[in-house]
Amino acid sequence: MSNADQISEYIVREFLPDLTPSQLPPDLDLLADGAIDSLGVLKMIAWVEHHFRLAVGDTDLDPENFRSVNAIDAYVARSQSTAATGG
Amino acid sequence: MRNRDADQQALCAGMAQWGKTLSEGHIEADARSAFEPHRWRSLAGSGVLGLPFPQQWGGAGQSLLTTLHVLETLGETCRESGLNFCATTSMASTGVPLAAFGGDALRERYLPGICSGELIGAHAITEPDSGSDAMAMTTRAERDGTHYVLTGGKAFVSNGPIADVFVVYARTRPEGGPLGTTAFLVDRDTPGLSVGGPTAKMGLRTAPLSTLHLDGCRIPADRVLGRTGGGLLVLDHVMKREILFGFTVQLGEMRHRLERTVAYARERRAFGHPIGDYQAVSHRVVDMKIRTETAAKWLYDTAERLAAGEDVTADLAMTKILASEAALSTSLSAVRVFGGAGYLTEVGLEKEVRAAVAGTLYSGTNDIQYNHVASTLGLGG
Repeated sequence: MSNADQISEYIVREFLPDLTPSQLPPDLDLLADGAIDSLGVLKMIAWVEHHFRLAVGDTDLDPENFRSVNAIDAYVARSQSTAATGG
Repeated sequence: MRNRDADQQALCAGMAQWGKTLSEGHIEADARSAFEPHRWRSLAGSGVLGLPFPQQWGGAGQSLLTTLHVLETLGETCRESGLNFCATTSMASTGVPLAAFGGDALRERYLPGICSGELIGAHAITEPDSGSDAMAMTTRAERDGTHYVLTGGKAFVSNGPIADVFVVYARTRPEGGPLGTTAFLVDRDTPGLSVGGPTAKMGLRTAPLSTLHLDGCRIPADRVLGRTGGGLLVLDHVMKREILFGFTVQLGEMRHRLERTVAYARERRAFGHPIGDYQAVSHRVVDMKIRTETAAKWLYDTAERLAAGEDVTADLAMTKILASEAALSTSLSAVRVFGGAGYLTEVGLEKEVRAAVAGTLYSGTNDIQYNHVASTLGLGG
């Protein structure tokens, strides 16, 4: 299962139970009003960083990295790539 | 009462010895709406302020559960509920985020003072126009080189008039939704920071409350607690401990209230019998007992689950509702069992009613807590 699929499945399971993963548009703005509440966003970030074992350190929590499934997928790929290259 | 191990019993016994000193003249202090530094120093001398914090930063390194047992004893033995509130506010608002999110330099500089009581902490979250809606805050922090510049205003800052250091929550990205808020540690003497005078209020009158104004306060960027944009993560962590600390103290206060009410119901006679012989009274006292023990179970069970790393979002909201409503209900019941005497200031029970009302409002109003639970059920819009 791709990272994007894992992210979609998690978001649907936890926050949008009326949808199936395939019904979740990968560019849906998750931070917009009504998609996921603020506590849900915090929970989602904790899951992303734990599930993909991202070494987050003291990096800024840039909302653009968590705005959609596509954005999270790209953020995970960048973080893993940075960790792999020691950058 | 939950079982306590030998260490917990010893710590609680030590805390209980301070009760008389801390309580002396509490009714008069409430009438004067006076925070009394000498009383704070006595409280600090008990060591309670540093209980949950690492020993390397001046704390006692105790677990969350042990800390709660001692705080329950504080509530049970110290009648100065405003002082108790100041204590848990300083610990939760400032000590907790420093310990969990502060860098070593910040911990080294501030935590020993928070643990010893030489520093008093406060946090500034609520704003005049946004109340419980933390997402709607307008205080902003703009990056300027190696600093942030904070501008805005806060309201309902508990400990504000006496605080040496504030944890200020401000928007670093106004369009960032839940990731647009950051927590900053701000010294009281920072140019541009001004604290309003103590605000008169219904209860907890010895725990001063104020507004806070930030007019271009330049804060070094290393004063960020946690990550930039992670303010709500800090706040979520803090509020869980604030609720547990504050309402476990109230649990102790409920235990004392119950004990006092039972004793009165046995002694006070009417129509030839102790009033406790009448079901109208005994059932009311039993209701106090049920509410007190229910609060205890929820507080400690939720704390155990939190310490185990479980998601306690809904449990904590329910705990806060149950404990605060229990405190209010039992405080009113005590007044009614005492009758006219309970209405007298000198008896000290009406003060407890006024204090208990506050518990339904601070740490997230009970209405907001209902919203939290509703959202976990997929309800509430």
